[in-house]
Amino acid sequence: MKNNQYSVKIFETTVEDEDEFIAFFDTNYALFQDHLIVLHGNLSPRIEKYLLSKSLKYIHNVTLPKGRSRKALEEDLLQRERESAISMQIVEAKLKKLSSRLQNNLMVMDSMVRSGREISIEGDLLLLNRVNSGATINITGNLIITKVVEGAIRCHGNFMMLTASPKANIIFHGVEVENDLLENKLNRVELKNNEIIITPVLKKEINWA
Amino acid sequence: MGIVIAVISGKGGVGKTTATANLGLGIGLNEKKCVVVDFDIGQRNLDMILGLENRVVYDMVQVMDEEATVQQALIKSKVSENLFFLAASQSKDKSVLKSEKVQKLINSLKKDFDFVILDAPAGIESGYEHTIEFADAAIVVVNPEVSSIRDADRAIGILDSKSDKVKNGEEVAKYLIINRIVADMVESGEMLKSDDILEILNIKLLGKVPEDKGVIDASNQGKPVILDKKSIAGQAYIRIAGRLCGQQVDMKDVEISDSGLFKRIVGMFR
Repeated sequence: MKNNQYSVKIFETTVEDEDEFIAFFDTNYALFQDHLIVLHGNLSPRIEKYLLSKSLKYIHNVTLPKGRSRKALEEDLLQRERESAISMQIVEAKLKKLSSRLQNNLMVMDSMVRSGREISIEGDLLLLNRVNSGATINITGNLIITKVVEGAIRCHGNFMMLTASPKANIIFHGVEVENDLLENKLNRVELKNNEIIITPVLKKEINWA
Repeated sequence: MGIVIAVISGKGGVGKTTATANLGLGIGLNEKKCVVVDFDIGQRNLDMILGLENRVVYDMVQVMDEEATVQQALIKSKVSENLFFLAASQSKDKSVLKSEKVQKLINSLKKDFDFVILDAPAGIESGYEHTIEFADAAIVVVNPEVSSIRDADRAIGILDSKSDKVKNGEEVAKYLIINRIVADMVESGEMLKSDDILEILNIKLLGKVPEDKGVIDASNQGKPVILDKKSIAGQAYIRIAGRLCGQQVDMKDVEISDSGLFKRIVGMFR
């Protein structure tokens, strides 16, 4: 395979008025002898014949690549790589978030959450003890608490199961849940079609001990 | 080697200092050597309740700074020869406490006494943290009301994370004293029941002390209420001190008013 690379002078023009076009080339054709003429617009046989008679080389209706330096090309390539890396990261983060919603990374805790303690959890939590007044649990996933909650809960999971005292402050997806609805028995709180649905898990209070 | 017990509460005014003074005396009366140390630097009260305010020459801060020896600073109780008292500094503030100095002081006291009882300051600041840092056990004093219980809960949480023993993987024993119980109010539901308090705090019950008007006068007189054999609070402290000294003492239910039906009927006609 034999390759040659040239830099060519190009004269780009549009045919609008044929007479005007011919008049222009009659006076200037000598200047365009070593140019490549790129024509836009309608190419009639008359023009074609005229250009041939003046032995001018031309091409018709071609979009020309705009000349750019090697540096600019490399930068463009780098930019594209970076963008794809970022989009990969976004996809990964979304997957991770989704997997944390899907009952993964379950954490089991047996200690009491005493007043003043703030727990932040990515994933799900099963807590087998009390949450005392003045304590806070922030959780991205699902939450099950088997004893009474008197503290604050911020849950962003698909569901939570708990019993709350009237002192508790329970916020599920940014909405405060009425404590009266969570009293005395284990309740399931879930989000369905943008509605918070609370259902008692058992009619009677369960004794977990 | 003695045991170091911190008396804590979180909230102020629940009766920490009164409990410390009475338990110290109770232990002393049980023939065990006991020292009570006031850790409430800048606001010392224990000397007054023990009736020893005019005996204070050197305080604990001076001992820690080696301006005085422990023997010079220890004050012997007028009532029991087994009870000694180490006063807090009234002029300094809590920032003078440093971990190494506190540890050194406590270790030297542990050698000579069976019980070292530390009266913690109210609150959960540095003074409190230094009190609990080298304690083997803690006695949590609460009143049957929600704010006292929440503060105690917080204080226990800090104890469970900041104490030296916990940092070494051991556990600090925690015991609860419920102070100022009014039986009538518990019966009518105005005051929290001790079962509910134990449920919230989840620590072992050491004793219940009923409300007793004699306590204030006893404190003012500098004669702890435990010396008054007729006082119901004094009797409660005798029972608690007995338990601390390893005796089997049954829990008396002070939440049932012993006024009785007959007395109540008589009361109606007054």
